[in-house]
This record gives sequence, C-alpha cells and structure tokens, in this order.
Amino acid sequence: MIKLFVWAFFFGVLVISPFIGAVNLDVASIFGADSLSSSIFFDLRVPRVLFAFFAGSVLALSGLLFQTLFRNALMTPYTLGVSSGAVLGAGIAIKLGLGTLFFGIGAVSLFGFLGAVFTVFLLIYLSQFLRSAQHESLLLLGIALSLFYSATLMIVFYLGSAMQNDMLIRFTMGSLSVIGWRDPILLGFIALMVFGSVYAYRFELQLLSVSEDQATLKGVNAPRVTLGLLIASSLGIGVLVSVSGPIGFVGLIVPHVVAKIYPTTLSGRILKTALFGGFFLVLCDTVSRALQTQSELPIGIVTALIGGPFFIYLIIAKAHK
Amino acid sequence: MILQNVSLEVQNHLTILGANGSGKSTLAKAICGLVPYEGEIKLNARNVEELSLKEKAKTISYIPAKLEIYDNFIRVEEFVLLGRFPYKKSFFDYSKEDKNIVEETLEFLKISHLKERSVSSLSSGEQQLTLIAQALAQRSRIIIFDEPTANLDPSNSKTIAQRIKGLKERCQIILITHDLHLACYVDSPVLFIKEKRVHYYEREFFEDATLHELYGVEFSSLAVKYD
Repeated sequence: MIKLFVWAFFFGVLVISPFIGAVNLDVASIFGADSLSSSIFFDLRVPRVLFAFFAGSVLALSGLLFQTLFRNALMTPYTLGVSSGAVLGAGIAIKLGLGTLFFGIGAVSLFGFLGAVFTVFLLIYLSQFLRSAQHESLLLLGIALSLFYSATLMIVFYLGSAMQNDMLIRFTMGSLSVIGWRDPILLGFIALMVFGSVYAYRFELQLLSVSEDQATLKGVNAPRVTLGLLIASSLGIGVLVSVSGPIGFVGLIVPHVVAKIYPTTLSGRILKTALFGGFFLVLCDTVSRALQTQSELPIGIVTALIGGPFFIYLIIAKAHK
Repeated sequence: MILQNVSLEVQNHLTILGANGSGKSTLAKAICGLVPYEGEIKLNARNVEELSLKEKAKTISYIPAKLEIYDNFIRVEEFVLLGRFPYKKSFFDYSKEDKNIVEETLEFLKISHLKERSVSSLSSGEQQLTLIAQALAQRSRIIIFDEPTANLDPSNSKTIAQRIKGLKERCQIILITHDLHLACYVDSPVLFIKEKRVHYYEREFFEDATLHELYGVEFSSLAVKYD
C-alpha cells in the first residue's frame, strides 16, 4: 500500500513538474499556438523533466552496477572518481573552447566520456595490485583519484579566462537546464542502452555479486562481462556529466532505498531502480525550481544536501553491523 | 609457487591432506583453472585448459569453505538455481527444467524447508548444505570440497560428512581438508602434500604409524565418529 503510494506520488510529481518554475505559466494557453507559455513548456520544461528522469535512471543504474560488481555498498561512479574524471574531461573541452566535433556530438560530451572511461580503466588496472578482498582499498583509490582530478580542474580554472571560468563553475555545480529536445533524446537512448545491458547480463551479475571466482566456476567470463558493463555505464555517465555537470549521491542512495522497499534478489530490482532513480531526480529538480530563490538552486546542491547525511547514516549503519 | 612440478591425473575419488600453507587450496584452484600453473592437470583424460568456461562448469564444481555473499536478499532456491547457469541459454531466464532440478536437489538433501529463506540468514551448516545443493544442481561429474567442515560444529560436521560420503556414488569427490575424522570417514585414496612434494596413498594412509610419520604427532586409532 505504502509502495503504491510512493509510486503514485512520484508519478504525480512527474506530471506537475513541467508546470512549476520561475515563470508562472498560463495553463490555458500552453496548448494554444505560439504563446510564450507554450514555448517555455514544450521547449524548456518538458525536455528538462525528461532529461532529469533519464539522468536519474542512468545514475541509479550505474550505482547499482558498481555496487554489485565491486560487492560494496559504497561503490558508485561518484565515490570511485568516475564522475570526477568525466567532469575533468568536459572541463578541459570547455577550456579549449572545442565545439561540435562530428555527427553533432559535442567535444564536451566526448571528452566527458573519455574522462569516465579512462578512470574505469585506471581503476581496473590499479585493482590488479590489490588482493581481491581489499575492496575498501579500491574505494580509497577512487577518493584519491577524485582529489587529484579536482586539483587538476583547479589548474584548468587558473589558466582560464573569466568567462570560461564562469561557465566552468556553473558546470561543476550541476544543472539540469536543457534547451530543446536534442539532449533528452540522446540521453534517453543512452539510458535505454545502459538499462538493456544491465538487464541482459542480470544473471551474470547475480553470479558476480556472489564472488568473481564463483562466477568464473559457473562459466561466466568475469573480466569480459565486468569490463563491458563498466564501459556501457561510463558512456552513460560521461554523456550525462558533460551536459549536466556532476550530480552526486543519486547512484548511492537510490539502489539502497529500492533494496529496502523491495528486499528481492538483484534481477527483480533493476527496472525498479531505474524508475525510482528517474523519479527521484525529477523530484529533486522540481524542489530546486519550486524554491523561487534568486536564481535556480543547482541540482547537485539539492542531491548533495539529501545525500550527504544519508551517506553518513550508511557508514554508521554498516559499522554497527 | 608453492607446489613444483606436480602432474596430476584425477580419475577417482581423492582426499587431499597436508599442513597449513602446503598448497592444498592452491592445488584445488589450479584444478578448477582459477590460478595459473605450470605442468598438466588432467580430469578423466582431458586437459583442464582445453575446456571452455561453460564446459568446465559442467565438469567441475567447487564448494568453498565459507560462503561470502554480497546480495543479502537472495533466497536459497534462487541461489541453488545459479548452479544451472552453464546450461542456461544466454540472455534468457532459467527454464522450467532448471527449476525442477533445483526442487529435486533440495528434496534430495532434505532442505526443501529452507528454500524461501535468504541465504545470508542461514547457519553455517545450512549454508554448507546450500552450497552442496548448488553444486549438485550443476550436475558436474567432479565436486571439489575445500575444507567443508572448517566452520562447523561436530554435529553439523557429521551431517556434512554423511552427505559427502553418500555423494561418492553419484559423483567423483575431491576433498580438501584438515579434518582427519572426516577424511577417514569418507575413506578415499589420499594425496598428502608435504614439503612441496605429493605422496599418494591408496589405502594404508589412516594407519597410526603412517599418520605419526607424516604429522609427527602420536595417534592412537583414529576413531570413526560419523556413522
């Protein structure tokens, strides 16, 4: 009953979300032709809500994927430095003033993706030097990488002009504002791809969540499946980060909350995690627009305000166990 | 490298004994192909390295001493079903037949009452039985037990020992253990690893004189307690 209520509430938020924002829309004229309300609604608000939904799905699915592959609740693209890698890549592209490269794919997206994938390869390479049980050390490696990337990004700031820096600062705070339909459609495809690959390999993932050795002994090509899924998710993270900037904590919180609500094994939680992640980010975004502050509150700040305390709770709850 | 120049041809039941750190577990992992090795390991006349991952899974299953599991919610029947993975069509769900095999296996081991429980909530003895069920559902000719009684109290050890002995009719059992009672009860030919060398005993291993010589501890008639 409570579950149904939660989903109904989320769906309600999704529906009313496009009507909320800095400009009050004239509801009657939205569906009329050529009004200001109509163009705000269809060119800005609806694409933004869809973008937020897909972004939340990609973040939550990636979180679930990382937690399962590394068998640790604290492993997410954000905590392991994959998001920071994407931010640095995108930041460098902004600094260099690179525009569209080819086939309409922006240099910022491409560099974001490369930053994320580079980090994944670096983590896999470095993890060879750890014993398989030392996943805590991998987390520390990820944190060290994040700090290193932040410092490198500071150098990019230092070298940048005032205008570039303003763009960079806004970028690093995270924002879901998109104009037009290009970004939501691109991210929609990518979200579908990430979901498809996680779902297609749900049985392999279930075995990998027991242990890598056990998965191998059941016939899973563990290194290949792990690498393939990590690259798919890095693609999602890279493209997402290059448009919206880093959005923390969604990948950490959502899989946990879904597991609390639905204590089933992994394959039963994949779709629910994707949907919940999407709805959750739409909710956060709606809150940030509804607050009517001087200018819009960056989405990264909203999720971090919710996620920070939750992260601390998780660590303490884990220590208790 | 702990063991050197070991060539092994496994054709029958085998119990592997040896001191701590003598390379028992490494040998077991080498048999499964989990660690790189030099030399040759043959399972029923086939070289281990020639088998594909799925073929290998259909040939050998390996039961670790202790279950380490991240998924807190996976239930016993779902966990045992994982043993059917090598038979499953890629991307598709497990078939009705796979699920029937799981049912049969749970009944055979008399743990059907556990099937709805989550694996992480089971006792060590129940977890060991669940692992055995998974290996049986895997329908492999060879089952490797790595220290099956290491975490068990005597009464659970007895249950497991009886199960393992019972399985000798169905599959080929490779047992790695410190537990001499268990080894004696299971009563397979023994491979003893000492100082980087392996010694093979077809029968006479469990005689007091042999044990004294190998372990340097005085034994007086190793009692068989599990019957």
